[in-house]
Amino acid sequence: MAKFIIRRTLYMIPILLGIALITFLLFNMAGGDPAAQAAGKYATAERIEEIRTELGLDGPLYVQFGRHVQQMLTFDFGRSWATKQTISSMITSGIDASMSLTVPTLIITQIITIALALFIAFFRGTLFDKTSLIVCLALLSFSSLVYILYGQFSLAFNAGLFPISGWDPSWVGRWQYLILPILIGVMLSLGGSVLFYRTVFIDQLHQDYVRTARSKGLSDNVIMYKHILRNALIPIITVVVAQMPFVIVGSLLIEAFFQIPGLGGMTYQAINNADFPVIKAMTMIGAILYLVFQLVADILYAVVDPRVQVR
Amino acid sequence: MYSSWRIFFHASIISAICLIFAGCTNSCSQKVSDTDSTLNVVLSANVKGLDPIYANDTYSNAVISNISETLLEYHYLKRPLELQPLLAESMPEVSDNGLTHTFKIKKGVKFHNNEAFENGIGRELKAQDFVYSWKRLADPRLQADGFWVFDGKIKGLNEWRDKVSAGEADYDTPIEGIEATDDYTLVIKLSKPYYQLHYVLAMGFTSPVAKEVVDKHGKEYLNHPVGTGPYKFANWVRNNKIELVKNENWHGQTYPTEGATGDEEAGLLADAGKTLPFNDKITFHEVTEAQPRWLNFMKGNYEYMGIPKDNFDSAIAEGDLTPEMKSKGVQLFKTPEPDVTYVAFNMKDPILGKNENLRKAIALAYDTKTSIEKFYNGQALPAQSPIPPSIDAYDPNFENPFKKFDVSKAKEFLEKAGFPEGKGAPVIEYSALTSSTARQMAEFFKQNMAAIGLQVKIDSVSWPQLQKKIKEAQAQMWGIAWLADYPDAENFLQLLYGPNKTPGPNGANFANSKFDELYKKAAILPPGPERTQLYQEMRDIFVNEMPWVPGVHRLGYYLRHGWIKNFKMHSIINNHFKYLRVDAKKRAELKAKL
Repeated sequence: MAKFIIRRTLYMIPILLGIALITFLLFNMAGGDPAAQAAGKYATAERIEEIRTELGLDGPLYVQFGRHVQQMLTFDFGRSWATKQTISSMITSGIDASMSLTVPTLIITQIITIALALFIAFFRGTLFDKTSLIVCLALLSFSSLVYILYGQFSLAFNAGLFPISGWDPSWVGRWQYLILPILIGVMLSLGGSVLFYRTVFIDQLHQDYVRTARSKGLSDNVIMYKHILRNALIPIITVVVAQMPFVIVGSLLIEAFFQIPGLGGMTYQAINNADFPVIKAMTMIGAILYLVFQLVADILYAVVDPRVQVR
Repeated sequence: MYSSWRIFFHASIISAICLIFAGCTNSCSQKVSDTDSTLNVVLSANVKGLDPIYANDTYSNAVISNISETLLEYHYLKRPLELQPLLAESMPEVSDNGLTHTFKIKKGVKFHNNEAFENGIGRELKAQDFVYSWKRLADPRLQADGFWVFDGKIKGLNEWRDKVSAGEADYDTPIEGIEATDDYTLVIKLSKPYYQLHYVLAMGFTSPVAKEVVDKHGKEYLNHPVGTGPYKFANWVRNNKIELVKNENWHGQTYPTEGATGDEEAGLLADAGKTLPFNDKITFHEVTEAQPRWLNFMKGNYEYMGIPKDNFDSAIAEGDLTPEMKSKGVQLFKTPEPDVTYVAFNMKDPILGKNENLRKAIALAYDTKTSIEKFYNGQALPAQSPIPPSIDAYDPNFENPFKKFDVSKAKEFLEKAGFPEGKGAPVIEYSALTSSTARQMAEFFKQNMAAIGLQVKIDSVSWPQLQKKIKEAQAQMWGIAWLADYPDAENFLQLLYGPNKTPGPNGANFANSKFDELYKKAAILPPGPERTQLYQEMRDIFVNEMPWVPGVHRLGYYLRHGWIKNFKMHSIINNHFKYLRVDAKKRAELKAKL
């Protein structure tokens, strides 16, 4: 196991270098000119050159790339070009808000969707199952904006059940602002997740071990919970782990609409401002999280299913 | 055994219901205080930082203008705008040649208390603080956004900047053009006449900061601002809200006793002579999306706001408030914005730059009236030239002959341009931002041009990409706008001054020797009829060449609740918060009904 982890960690290095190269190339090809951008509306050629030097954009590309890699590896991204704030402080202040939204959303979504999917799978083929399928498909078809706009308008503004938007940095105060965004976050993934898990569970229901269990006279409940759920853990882990990077980097639209000062909104603004240091930091964090959680998933597969061996 | 997964399922449903009730108990019972006079202001973008030298956006400026102050400020009520002293004791003494400006600094003005000062007590503001702060503005290592206000205009400042770059000078090196001759006298010497100096001395960039505080926080000063203003920085939840509290040691000011025509009738002089500021606290809410801004305003959580495009029809009908809005006690404030929108032609472009008739054909084919209906809810004035209303040299009776929507005349000019019915005309690229409104505007432009046989290709770009294209003179034609930094036509005409060509503000790369000559001549003239005459001659050259298709001058529409008093807006005045008064009792009463 240790050998596996070390090897997989080492594999990450070339992948991260590749990501560093791609972000660097994309930025240089598709981004604007940050020096001209920083020089503002009264730019002069002289000022632009000064800023280019100050930002370290005047050297040859390979030198710039070297610095880019160095920053990415040392996690020293300096200050944002657009806001002049330190990127580390921007990330620390954003990560807390983002995770306060995404972690409960993920947990609640998983609990509800797994429970619902098991329930629906249990009644497979019935009218209830078919109706549920249609409802799930309908839920899936709405754009996320519909949930946000409608939720905010009807539940917060009209019904007055929640504050319209806002944030309180204290742990106790923030929840009143988080409940509606979390509910909407859960609704957003409900349809898709229930459909997926239902398929997974139904697939398991057709397995030989279910037939064996039934022939032993086990009750449906025991079969569903003890056998099917456990066997379906691998796809569940895959889904949950795939979502983990998003849990940390936040949810752009929900954050923007509910005034939650998270990382999603910060990244979006950075893209709009060609704020390369922030984009670089967020890309790198996203990439590392993705790779780390893939590794975690592989390890978890082995934990939940003894047939899987990590080598 | 009762099935665990059922328990699981039920538990999750119950928790969801509990969550809803938890939300309700917290938010439904919010009581409105009738003594809290907090002014709640909504900003439609996030604030970047609170260091005056980087305050190049409206939002950061709005906050900074309460914390820091400038030598001069605009009179809150008078129109056209008029400057008055703020940190200066009086208006400056100006030498006959216009090159030396001597300011007397108000005595007894104190910085906010801060631990950076001895015993934590804010010390008195001195003329030397301006010298230090303006050196900071010019320091090449800080790359201030506001250096342009002094760039090339103050004796010795650019030389100092170059020496600092070379490591040959520091903050102790004197600058000939900025000198504190004693603690309360500041002498500014210009390298050439610069009649806009007084205007820029009312801009946030030139606010004094205390060296002790900057030394303590270094680059982090932008999160720890200390000034002399009516409000002190209290707290910032980044990307969410900023809170300021009243500065009890403020040097003080009273509400103006005179205003513009109609101000008295509008109740704007009811508080005349009363001590400012009126409110104990200001909270700036940073809300980037229009819907939460609008819904919060409608619940009375913000005192006033500009109307989001999508909510315009629900608030305004035929230029006035809808009855529903009136019944809620909402009031409307309209003001012409000192701005111009335009479609610029790149004059370096071999097709558009060389063909005056083609540019005129395009201008004639553009249906400004319909565009105002479609994109500005009918609330904008067609622009005849770059100079907007409320700025000197604006003539309401002036009509640009190429701004009359006339398809047949446009076709005539297209023929003169060498492309009868558009035959042989190359496809022109129009760069537009990716936002839905910008795209719709570009599509509308494309349709207008198709009507005379011109083909337009839309190039969708991000703001950084558009800026890059313009600054590298790679764009052919693009839509853009300019909002005045100060109320002088020069601020618009400099967009067409030859030496300001790309990467400078003259993105169109317009170069006309006569225009440039007049510009230089006007630059050394004080405001007055002679200068206005020159500005109008420059406008005529513009019309003759049409390097842009002028679009519109926008009208600002603001909604405010009945409990906010003394409300008068102008985009150039950014320190208006101290004049606003929240009637807390009325707010409690009216808000309960919303």
